[in-house]
Amino acid sequence: MSDERSFMLQAMNMKSMDELFSDVPASMRKKGLRVPPGISEYELMEEAKNIAAMNRYEGYRKFLGCGIYDRIIPSSVDSIISRSEFLTSYTPYQPEMSQGMLQSLFEYQSLMSDLMGMDVTNASMYDGYSALAEAVRMAYRINGKTEVLIPETLYRGKLRVIESYTRGLGLKLISYGYEKETGFADLDDLSKKVGENVSSVICENPNGFGILDENVPSLREVVGKSMIISYVDPVSLGVIRPPGDYDSDIAVAEGQSLGVHKNLGGPLLGIMSFKREHIRKSPGRIIGESVDSDGKKAYVMTLQTREQHIRREKAMSNICSNQALMAVAASTYLSILGKKGLRNVALKTASNMKKLIETFRHVEGYNPDLFSGKHFSDLPVKAPVDNEKLRKSLLEKNIQGAIPFDSILPNLSDLFRNTSFFSVTEKHNDDDFSALKSALEVV
Amino acid sequence: MGYHQASYDEPLIKDIHSGTDYKVPAVQDKIEDLIPASLLRKKIDLPDVAEFDVVRHYTRLSQMNFSVDIGTYPLGSCTMKFNPKFADRISQIDGFSETHPLQDQGSIQGSLKIMYELQEYLKDISDMDAITLQPLAGAQGEFVGILIVRKYLEDIGEIEKRREIIIPDSAHGTNPASAAMAGFDVVEVPSDSNGMVDLDALEAALSERTAAFMITNPNTLGIFDRNIVKISEMVHRSGALLYYDGANFNAIVGITSPGIMGFDIVHYNLHKTFATPHGGGGPGSGPVAVKAYLKDYLPVPVVSLENGRYYLDYSASKTIGKVASYYGAFNMLLRAWAFIRFHGSDGLLNNTQRAVLNANYLSRRLSTSFSIPFNPLKKHELVLSTEKTGKRALDIGKYIIDQGVHAPTVYFPLIVHEDMMIEPTESASKDDLDRYARIMEDALKEDVEQLKRRPLNLASRRIDEVKAARDLKLKWD
Repeated sequence: MSDERSFMLQAMNMKSMDELFSDVPASMRKKGLRVPPGISEYELMEEAKNIAAMNRYEGYRKFLGCGIYDRIIPSSVDSIISRSEFLTSYTPYQPEMSQGMLQSLFEYQSLMSDLMGMDVTNASMYDGYSALAEAVRMAYRINGKTEVLIPETLYRGKLRVIESYTRGLGLKLISYGYEKETGFADLDDLSKKVGENVSSVICENPNGFGILDENVPSLREVVGKSMIISYVDPVSLGVIRPPGDYDSDIAVAEGQSLGVHKNLGGPLLGIMSFKREHIRKSPGRIIGESVDSDGKKAYVMTLQTREQHIRREKAMSNICSNQALMAVAASTYLSILGKKGLRNVALKTASNMKKLIETFRHVEGYNPDLFSGKHFSDLPVKAPVDNEKLRKSLLEKNIQGAIPFDSILPNLSDLFRNTSFFSVTEKHNDDDFSALKSALEVV
Repeated sequence: MGYHQASYDEPLIKDIHSGTDYKVPAVQDKIEDLIPASLLRKKIDLPDVAEFDVVRHYTRLSQMNFSVDIGTYPLGSCTMKFNPKFADRISQIDGFSETHPLQDQGSIQGSLKIMYELQEYLKDISDMDAITLQPLAGAQGEFVGILIVRKYLEDIGEIEKRREIIIPDSAHGTNPASAAMAGFDVVEVPSDSNGMVDLDALEAALSERTAAFMITNPNTLGIFDRNIVKISEMVHRSGALLYYDGANFNAIVGITSPGIMGFDIVHYNLHKTFATPHGGGGPGSGPVAVKAYLKDYLPVPVVSLENGRYYLDYSASKTIGKVASYYGAFNMLLRAWAFIRFHGSDGLLNNTQRAVLNANYLSRRLSTSFSIPFNPLKKHELVLSTEKTGKRALDIGKYIIDQGVHAPTVYFPLIVHEDMMIEPTESASKDDLDRYARIMEDALKEDVEQLKRRPLNLASRRIDEVKAARDLKLKWD
């Protein structure tokens, strides 16, 4: 035992470390850990590198998306969120010594409200799916109605998270269809299902097919007073009308595209914006501007009376930790790109989508034109072979893509056999498309 | 050690106008060929700033933010220990950070191995049988745990009558919030004069309406409830489940475990016990472990191993479903894996001992100046009251942060008046603790008016929280 430890024990008139645990009865003492003994930093780094090498990472051309995107991240973003002042701080409970994080989050709320075209954005949610589920709960808190209308094209993963989050509420989840020709939301079907008991209507743009849905802006005319919950791709908002433009009550998004690495899908960033009138029913932390005792501008966590540490079982949500660091990443990303940059990234993505579609059109047996609506990042393609064969064959040619349709939208899989998703971002170039074409030609 | 935090009159990023200079690939197409005309966006503001100014802006802001790397941060129940730098480096290895959640499982064997090993480590530490790494924060872990309770009670046909979840009055606020979120009624039981669960009150509260009892042990007073095995028997006899809030796990790793204590469901906070950095409020990570009879209720997928191959296992037949987009906060899981692998069985136990030694040493030091209720033997943290000093905990906190160390948690738990909850963790030396105690004692030497004027040395003076709530300015104009 180190001198320091012995000295401290002595100061307390204790003879051994064990005395510190005399309140833990002997019958409850653990016999020892099976976790292996510790190793040095050097050994750890070697082991970690070797395990990382078991991931096949380099040398692949990737066409993977469906919610998580391989986008360009300015080096400055990683540099900022690696600063230990941000990285190793806690929730800003002492605002006077945490102004840096608080102002950063205030800026995040401002930037996201601008991007989403909404009144208010909270200081972040865990991820897009849970933010969507929390939005459904929030709508229920606002109007107390019990039916939720959900597009048939909503990813099963999102639906499952909504189901988990609403299990205690007894909500009825009802799906509405899409137009077979365009792939847009079927407003006729929706209008038949809208009624007195509908709490919220979920819409997506782009939708589960990856289509930019031209019907979404007319949603309000159909849904009346029900809450509109919009799920969007934040990068697309560089050129696409934002949720605030079509009277969304709550808008949510997965923010990973805004400067966060893929990391096997976590940590991500849940973005949640809403109309100001709904603020007292909203979940999560929120930062407000105030002044200090010298009259200087300052920021604090506010509306805490909605939160679990004050309101306990009556709180609007149980959120304590959120995704503050990822929110700083997104703010840094948006600040660096600016409106020109974000617009360019969105257009480049759409431009690459055009090339992706062209690529498939030029290989016999593939159909990328399942709908007339325009796609943004994700494209379902019908192939002349089954999904597993396509996926494996492409992998052999060092191409990762072909996410099976039935893993994303199993409810529609009977209608979309031998169909897989391919995705693009601003990163793809002509070499990627010609490599994909060559690989497809020999499947 | 004198302290003056940087204090810039830093403008909002929108008020810096050096002009966007970031380069992105050029686009040749006409916009109308790419985007439907009816969906074209008309207006977006976003800042117009050069990259060097963005970096300076956020760097200056970071300098106005206290963190674990700057100094002692004994925020009670938050376990603000040192976040090792090797974990930062490992988390940035491209082979880990550039993997997509939907890519072929054959190409992510390394990431799955990390998750599998972490699952095994965490099960060993808690003596539980099965685990999910999916929950994205401690509170989401609690919610998952209570959903498991719910589904289990549905399956045995008791959900209609078992509507109540019992929670001690010293519990974290997330406990009742999570229970209510899953559709249960919350029943609070008081603590006894030793700061432990009042067994008579618990006995009276338990009934055929009880679904579960949620408790953390040691509790938020830093006291180990030695009646826990008895409590477990009482709860189980009534047909309810026992839930362990792992926020205070740092006190018991290697000493005892929730499995030994008789718990059915446990959540961990990797950003506390296993030192993943908390990022100014998140990301967190809140895995949940269960006893064997609840294995099939865990969220899907978990990572399994068969014939040397790791795979995402969706076989849980009674699963509560999913609560997150993918498999959890992988980057945090990786850091926690690195922390456990580095410290190992010997280091983890050593950390626990040191954390408890530090809390007790500080408690003895402070007991001459402050009243420290309940059992003098603490675990990971101590709770003191400033009531008899005539000074408010809030004001003493503002004196403390003026000295370049973080204040304790104040006004929590709710059952002690004018309280401060102090958790030094293992990342504090004797000198740090002596200095911290001196700072707290010095605070008492200032009169009430002087204290109210603090802080003086930080980026901001005392902030008007009432104005913030009244005016609700939540974004820039």
